[in-house]
Amino acid sequence: MEIQELLIILMLIPFVASIIIWFAPNNYKVLSILHVLGAILNAVVGLSIVSSVINGQTYFVFNDMFFIDSLGAVFISLISVTGLLVNLYSVKYMQWELDHKHLEVKDTKLFFSLFHLFVFTMTFSVLANNIALMWVGIEATTLSSVFMVALNKNKKSTETGWKYIVICSIGLAFALYATVLLYSAGFNVIHDSHSAMLWTTLIAHAKDIDQYALKLIFIFALIGFGTKAGLAPTHTWLPDVHSEGPAPSSAMLSGILLKCAILGLIRYYAVTGNSLAGFEYVQSLMIISGLITIFIASFFLLVQHDVKRMFAYHSIAHMGVIAFGLGVGGPIGLFAALFHALAHSVTKALAFCVTGNMIQVYGTRDMTKMGGLIKIAPITAILFGIAVCSLVGVPGFAIFVSEFLMIKQSIIGNLNIEVTLFIIGLIIIFIADFSHFNLATFGESRSKVLTNELPLSANLPLIGLAALILIFGLFTVSPWVTLLKNAVNIIIGI
Amino acid sequence: MIDLLSILSIVLIISSLCVFGIRNYKIATYVYAFQTFILVMIFLFLYITYDAEQLGGWAIIAFFTKVIFVPFILLRLIKKLKVEHEDEPLLGFFISPVVAIAFSLAIAMAIYPIYLKFSLIQEHIPLIASITIFMIGIFGFILRNSAIKQILAYCTFENGIHLSLALMAYNSPEIAELGILTDAIFAVLIMAILSQRFFKYFGSLDVSKADELKG
Repeated sequence: MEIQELLIILMLIPFVASIIIWFAPNNYKVLSILHVLGAILNAVVGLSIVSSVINGQTYFVFNDMFFIDSLGAVFISLISVTGLLVNLYSVKYMQWELDHKHLEVKDTKLFFSLFHLFVFTMTFSVLANNIALMWVGIEATTLSSVFMVALNKNKKSTETGWKYIVICSIGLAFALYATVLLYSAGFNVIHDSHSAMLWTTLIAHAKDIDQYALKLIFIFALIGFGTKAGLAPTHTWLPDVHSEGPAPSSAMLSGILLKCAILGLIRYYAVTGNSLAGFEYVQSLMIISGLITIFIASFFLLVQHDVKRMFAYHSIAHMGVIAFGLGVGGPIGLFAALFHALAHSVTKALAFCVTGNMIQVYGTRDMTKMGGLIKIAPITAILFGIAVCSLVGVPGFAIFVSEFLMIKQSIIGNLNIEVTLFIIGLIIIFIADFSHFNLATFGESRSKVLTNELPLSANLPLIGLAALILIFGLFTVSPWVTLLKNAVNIIIGI
Repeated sequence: MIDLLSILSIVLIISSLCVFGIRNYKIATYVYAFQTFILVMIFLFLYITYDAEQLGGWAIIAFFTKVIFVPFILLRLIKKLKVEHEDEPLLGFFISPVVAIAFSLAIAMAIYPIYLKFSLIQEHIPLIASITIFMIGIFGFILRNSAIKQILAYCTFENGIHLSLALMAYNSPEIAELGILTDAIFAVLIMAILSQRFFKYFGSLDVSKADELKG
């Protein structure tokens, strides 16, 4: 089958799956089979497309309005791999929610249906070559995920949903302004309404587009997509939203959605960087944004005892790390930023899914009431340990690779003050995390234990995520490295 | 000599200030509908004056979605919740509109020259109006606590963006405009559902009362 046809199928699968689940009977077994089938199909098609793009090819569909290049393929692989494993985990998790009468079957139907709609909107935004459609896709990710987060009908979830839609809508309004302005400035150069909307054309003509307009556009894009990605100071929605929904929705939001917003920002970063405004301009802004984000998140991390809120602040901190990588720039810095997107995706998906296990074991999210996890649920404890080790950048785990490369590039680029601040931020995160890890894992349990280790079938997707963290931390996965290098070349306009 | 387009743009600014400042929900919604009607008039005016074919289509779509459908949803919500007036907002009823308009105009004056440089339709006052209305909407979110007023603020800044789109990018592919409008309609619907829930659980539409999640 042609790649172009596969691209259309890739967009259709989650959309069709969402509709089928929406109209399916209220039978959990049927719903979960449909849900898993949709996820597997999506992953198979997604990964086969990615494998065709590894050599640096670009494919267009729908009159060039949608496309896949190496940069897009990086993010499609996140949706495929992380999405599949989280989807598989969600079947057992939602079963637990049903068994404990937290939700009804119709709620799980809504959840699964929205899950696929959410995957559709993320795929749509990643594949969009048209900058307005990319914005539409990213705004649609908010709309499709609001009720995944606010699934429970109570005070907290309502507050969360409201905060989510309001703050993200305001932020993305700025991104829409950036879109309108970029089209307008691009049209002055390209003189074709269709092409002036296409990211591929805009980056090719970046040098001719007015640099002062692009500087303003990038600030708007940074506010807009930065809000959606959880960069400070507009990150305030993220801890609530990522901590309130069911564990699989938190894993999807943190593991994939934030990166889709970062991709939006990277597109603007590339256009502005390749113009006369230059990479120095965008990098300065990204370093400032990244460091502020890391510090705000790391200090909040220190005082968190709610395991899901702790990981939510981690998401913010690591978006700061990606921003720092983009700020450091150069082939190594950009490579590291993209690598971090994958490393954080699998790590955070594991982390949030593990919180699902911990909530099932203790019936609480408060780590001060946990303890003794290693004796009660050893596999969960080890998985929790792997997630924490990766998140704090222990050597041998995926996130270490990207953080090390960022530090290396900073030293090469003589960014001494910046890298010192970056390392201080990482040390704070390290201290906060290991103290929390000890609190939950060792000693005696400080509350009644509801269940012991979860069955292997529930843990299998998490073991898969943990294996990926170790594989990417210990080995050089050649196809992945090639894909990233090609993606970096696209950003720096080679 | 101020022309019709400029007059309509000034009416847009005044009406967005009214949507921001009026305490009565119903009246604020009607004023929003009026404001959007003026926006549709501007689309038609530009369509005729500048031969901007696409704006004829935009005017029709915007009339049905933004002049009729969105106010209809909001009026239904107000009726269902049996609410009449918003509570005292941050900074008070009188200061907050002054702050909003002053800052919005200042920001608009500072950045509109950049917009003007690339705008397909080079009209000063409408461009200033588009940024001002957008910023008044943003201040609406920041300075007003009522959920319904925040939905109206969303709709207001949406109107600002649509005016910018009409002036700067009316020749953009129609699918983009359609996508943006569809997102906006769904956003208003979801916000309306959430504000109903909010009223149910908090007994008020004052979002500052939502403090379950701090820390």
